[in-house]
Amino acid sequence: MEWCVHIAGTEDLEGELSLERLAGMEPSAKLQPSLELTAQVIQERFGSVRFTRCTFGTEFCEHLLPSPEALEAVRSAARERGLAFTFLTPYVSDSGICKLRGLLRLLDGDEVVFSDWGVLRLLRQEFPRLTPVQGRLLNKSLRDPRVMGVYGETETSGLAPAATLDALRRSNLDSESYTRFLSRMVVAGIEMDNLPQGNDLGFAGRGMPLAVYLPFGFISTSRVCLAAGLHYRKPDKFQPGAPCRHECQTHLVEYAYTNSPFANRDQKFYLKGNTYFYVHTAAMLRSLVGQAAEGRIARLVFQPRLPMLQAHEEAA
Amino acid sequence: MKILAPIRAYDELEMLAAAGAEELFCGIVPREWMERYTGAIWLNRRSPKGGSLETYDELKRLVEAAHGLHLPVFTTLNAPYYTAEQLPLVVDLARRLSDEVGVDALIVTDINLLLRLSEEKLAADLHISSVAATLNSEAVRFLLDFGPKRIILPRSLTLEEIARIVREVGDRVEIEVFMLNDGCAFEEGFCATTHHHSVGAFCSSLSEMRAEFEWGGPVLTRRRENWLRRNLADYREWVWYLNGNGCGSTPKGLPYGPCGLCAIPDLLRLGVASLKIVGREASPLKKLASVKMVRDIVDRARAGTPKLQVIDRARALRETPEHCDSGYMCYYQVDGARKTR
Repeated sequence: MEWCVHIAGTEDLEGELSLERLAGMEPSAKLQPSLELTAQVIQERFGSVRFTRCTFGTEFCEHLLPSPEALEAVRSAARERGLAFTFLTPYVSDSGICKLRGLLRLLDGDEVVFSDWGVLRLLRQEFPRLTPVQGRLLNKSLRDPRVMGVYGETETSGLAPAATLDALRRSNLDSESYTRFLSRMVVAGIEMDNLPQGNDLGFAGRGMPLAVYLPFGFISTSRVCLAAGLHYRKPDKFQPGAPCRHECQTHLVEYAYTNSPFANRDQKFYLKGNTYFYVHTAAMLRSLVGQAAEGRIARLVFQPRLPMLQAHEEAA
Repeated sequence: MKILAPIRAYDELEMLAAAGAEELFCGIVPREWMERYTGAIWLNRRSPKGGSLETYDELKRLVEAAHGLHLPVFTTLNAPYYTAEQLPLVVDLARRLSDEVGVDALIVTDINLLLRLSEEKLAADLHISSVAATLNSEAVRFLLDFGPKRIILPRSLTLEEIARIVREVGDRVEIEVFMLNDGCAFEEGFCATTHHHSVGAFCSSLSEMRAEFEWGGPVLTRRRENWLRRNLADYREWVWYLNGNGCGSTPKGLPYGPCGLCAIPDLLRLGVASLKIVGREASPLKKLASVKMVRDIVDRARAGTPKLQVIDRARALRETPEHCDSGYMCYYQVDGARKTR
């Protein structure tokens, strides 16, 4: 199995690529315990791990597309360290397609994660030397942490019918017609989140390599950004795709689900910019590394920070 | 440019047609689906109870009567995904809807279902749902390979972005856009949450949760924290507008909620094929009022009434200029539509 780390820039590649160092990079005191727990669970199962790939970019916001200079610098630093390189791309408007076209020209033979069918078409039509991978945004399994974890726990109590739980743990990926279609599109792999209700990875044996992210899963994302609203007059706030000052880089909101109708009132959700995330519980982490150890996952992608990263080179 | 109205019962047909609806869409959830998957898994993006018809006979009666009034009927099969076990049920349902019931189009999201239905060569056309998140012209071109007659653009596209898509690919596929009622705080196709009754919509439930900020910028002074809290309060107000102003209505019973009336002259000029009124599950009164409002404005735009006059009429119809001026009730930002600018 391959280990991959999601980096924010060349700086991340300057030191030792150890779990201890990487798990200490998230500046948020609210998120730090989750990263420490993740590192601990990984080490318990695998001992020390060796990262052989890095991923750079974001799936969630076209305003976070890096500059050509930042992309070139990061890719070059990854090569120098002997790391394979994956470029993450978001869902985009037509103007995002134009920016992406310029960025993809800088890559050669690399992997590109697409979150938008338009980006897949762009890759196939204009960049056949790049390797498309279906991103987790195109995996449509529900992952609403308010209720899906509760469904997952009802397996033994029988509160959710087996067929219901089964369907919630899967997606269209378990249809052979769909994975065949992806193969025809020259898609070389699939990315997923670790679902609160558990993942049925029965499809993983059909030759489509699977990558899973930890310890953050996405809940929902929007072309409207709460944080970007900070610099607008009230009537002009919250317009889709509106320009921003990357307020998401300094602005995190933690929501406490203390009013849950279920027993899961200790849950927390995190908003960074335009996207909400959940963090993996210890049980979710253990289940995921167990599936990885059984050989059903080809790659684990460790996210040392919430994956809404502006390239260090640009933030500086 | 057509007016597309939601419908959930035969009894609503006559009034919607008389009010000016020119196309209809609905959902059906057969009992077999409910028995197997319960209300936890929605077949068509609406709760099985209250948003959909339940039997083929009921739907067939509706479709035949609608065709008698020269109104096409489209049916939603637009869950974000179907599993391998579900897919044969859904493909079979699609065949029956097309070939036995006679619906005019199937509204689809899941690429796998789209692929299967495009191979079936059904009589019904295929429309691609807004849940497929078709946000750019390249995505439209990708989807054209499946032979859709229409693509429904997500609510989050601006008029400029819609114009670009219509310009690039509007000659190869019909474009439908949102016109009235429900909003969505998130990108519908990239929202992995449920609206299940036990928890409600994620966006509105967030407004009831305790929120704490963490700030990675300069020192978080009291003043700066107040600035963050004010922005959060504004965001919650915006979500309230999206949610039909707290599901409210004017004293005359007209529905609140997101609105694109002021954009109709622009959308007509761009060549948009259809204006979608949302709300299969809404009351007949809300549907009726919605269709009447849209028809009033469409008729004026079709007659060539100057844009600013159309906008004034649209604002008058909404009866609540303070809500129009909030800036939070509009699907689209239209020049001249807000008095505060």
